Amino acid sequence: MALLSIENLCVELEGPEGTYRLLDEVNLLLNKGQCLGLVGESGCGKSMTALAIMGLLPQGMRAHGSILVDGEDLLRAEEERLCQLRGRKMAMVFQEPMTALNPVVPIGRQVGEGLRLHLGLTRHESETRATQSLARVGLPVERFPLGLFPHQLSGGQRQRVVIAMALACGPDILVADEPTTALDVTVQAQILDLLAEIIDEFDMGLVLITHDLGVVAETTDTMAVMYAGRVVEDGPTDEVFRRMAHPYTRGLFAAMPSHSSDGAATRTPLSTIPGRVPDALSRPAGCPFVTRCGFATDVCHQSVPQMEALGHRHGAACFNIARGEVDQ
Amino acid sequence: MTLFLVKRLIMLVATLLVAAVVVFSVLEILPGDPALVMLGVSAQPDTLAALRAEMGLDQPAWLRFFQWVGGLVTGELGRSYTYDVPVSELIVERVVVSLPLAVMALTLSTVIAIPLGVIAASRHNKPLDIALTGAAQFGIAIPNFWFAILLILLFSVTLQWVPAGGFAGWDAGFWPAVQSLLLPAFALALPQAAILTRVTRSSVLEVLQEDFVRTARAKGLSRNAALWRHAVRNALIPVITILGLQFSFLLAGTIIIENVFYLPGLGRLLFQAIAQRDLIVVKDLVVLLAGSVVLVNFLVDVGYAVLDPRLRSGGGHV
Repeated sequence: MALLSIENLCVELEGPEGTYRLLDEVNLLLNKGQCLGLVGESGCGKSMTALAIMGLLPQGMRAHGSILVDGEDLLRAEEERLCQLRGRKMAMVFQEPMTALNPVVPIGRQVGEGLRLHLGLTRHESETRATQSLARVGLPVERFPLGLFPHQLSGGQRQRVVIAMALACGPDILVADEPTTALDVTVQAQILDLLAEIIDEFDMGLVLITHDLGVVAETTDTMAVMYAGRVVEDGPTDEVFRRMAHPYTRGLFAAMPSHSSDGAATRTPLSTIPGRVPDALSRPAGCPFVTRCGFATDVCHQSVPQMEALGHRHGAACFNIARGEVDQ
Repeated sequence: MTLFLVKRLIMLVATLLVAAVVVFSVLEILPGDPALVMLGVSAQPDTLAALRAEMGLDQPAWLRFFQWVGGLVTGELGRSYTYDVPVSELIVERVVVSLPLAVMALTLSTVIAIPLGVIAASRHNKPLDIALTGAAQFGIAIPNFWFAILLILLFSVTLQWVPAGGFAGWDAGFWPAVQSLLLPAFALALPQAAILTRVTRSSVLEVLQEDFVRTARAKGLSRNAALWRHAVRNALIPVITILGLQFSFLLAGTIIIENVFYLPGLGRLLFQAIAQRDLIVVKDLVVLLAGSVVLVNFLVDVGYAVLDPRLRSGGGHV
C-alpha cells in the first residue's frame, strides 16, 4: 500500500464572486523511502496541496476527494485525530525559516514541544531527544545550546532547526514546501543533501515542493508538474526528464537557464512561456493551459484533457499528445 | 540587556529633569503670589515683604529652582504653605491610599482585559467576539466618574456590600481598607480594561497570521494550544506598551475618582493644593507623578526585554 495516496483532491474557496477552485482533481502517490517532487509556477497549487496534506488549509476552504495516509482518509478525520497525526505521522518544513520559528521561544523547547505532546515525554526526556534531533541536522549542542533563540541563528541554521522539529517524532511523511528558496545557494545544497540523507536513514516519504528543476532532477524519484490547480504531467523523474510530453512541461524546461561547457551562460535569450497563470476565477473552460499553449486546437477550448498513460507510470493530460501533434 | 537598561535609565533621569524645569517655569509664569494668598489682599507691604523673604520668594528664580531640585534629590521637599507640615509627610500619608488604588486598578484591568482580548481573537467574527468588542466599545465610551456613581448606587446604596466613600485606613485592618478601595479601583479599571481588551484582541489576531503559529499547528498543537503557548506571548509586546501609556491616564483618573469617593489620596491632595495655591505642594506632586509615569515606562521597557529575547542581546536583526 502506498504511504500517501491523494485521489481526486479538490480544494474550493467560497468567494464573493463565486467559488474559486484552487485544486482540481489532483492525484498523487508517494511510497516509503521515496521522494515526490511537485513542480510548477507560483500559484499553481503546490503549497495548497502541502497544506491539504497537513490538514492546515486556511479557514473557509473546503476540500473533497481523499488523502489517504496508510489507508486512513485525512479529509474524513476529526480535528482531534488530525492533531494526533500532525507532527507524528506527517510533518512539514516551511519555506521561510526566518518566520517559521517562534522568536520568543528557545529552539530546544520548540523542537521538544512535539515530543512532549505526542510521546508524552517529560521535560528532561524531551530535552535529551531534542538534543539528538538537533545534532542529527548538524547543530551539535556544544555549539548550539538548547537555550538559543532563533534570532541568534543564520537562515540555514534556522532551517535546520525547522527540520529537526519536523523529524523529532519520527514521522512517516515529510512535506517540504520550497525548503531552500529563502536560503543562500551554498546553503541550499547542504539542506537538500540533509533532507535526502534523512529520507534514506528513516525510510520516510518526502514530498518536495520546488520550482527548481535542477533540485527535482537531483533529489526526487517521482515528480508531478502542476499547472493552475491541476497535475498536467507526472511519472518517474528520469522518465519525465527523458520523454517530457506536455507542452507546459516542455516550456518549463526550456525556460531553465542553460550553461555552456565552460560554465559561462550562453548568449541566447532565456526562453519564456508567453502569458501568465490564469487566476482561479478566470480559468478557461477547457484545458487550463489553453491560453498559453502553441498547440491549442478547438477541442482544447471545449473540454478538459484527462491523464493519458505514455509509458510505465508516466502520464500527461493533453489532447495533442494522444493525437501525435506534439512531436516526441 | 544591561546596555539597553542603562540607556533607558539615563533617559529616565533626563525626562525627570525636563519635567522639573517645565513645572517650575509654568508655576513661575502663572500669576498669584503665595505670600499674598496667605496674608490676604489687605496685607501691609512690609509684612508681605517679610513673609516673602522668609519663604525665599525674593531670591532669583534660577537660585530657587536649584534649591528646589536639590531638595527633591535629598528628599527635602519643603513645607506646605496651607497645612504647615513638611510636604514629604503629606505625600507619605496620601501615597498609602493612591498607590494601592492604582495597583489594584491596573491589576484588575489586566486580569480582565488580556483573557477577554485573547478569547475575542480566538472567536474572530463569531457572536462572542462581537459581543466582547461591543462591550469594550461601551467601556471606552462611559466616563469613569459616571460609572463610579452607578457602582455606588448599586453596590453601596442598594446592595450595601461596600462603603460609598471615604477610606477606612490601613489601621482598620487589611480587608476594610481594601473594601473601601474596591469600587474606585473598578471605576478606574473599566475604561482601561476596555481599551486593553481591544488592543489585545487586534494584537493576537495579527500574531495568529504569523508563520510560526502555523508551524506550531503543524507540530500537532491544537488551535487553542497554539494560541496560548505561541501567539499570546508575542501578542503581549504591544499590549504592555499600551499598559504603560495608560498609567498616566490612570493617574489623571485618580484625581477625579478620589474626589467622587472622598478618598484622601494624592489626586485629591493635588486638587486641593491647586485650589489653595499651595504651590510648593503642586510642584512636588507634579514632579512625583511625572516621575512615576517615567518609572512605569522604564518598567515597560524592562518588560519588553523579558518578553522578547531579541532585545535582551542588544543588537541582532529584528
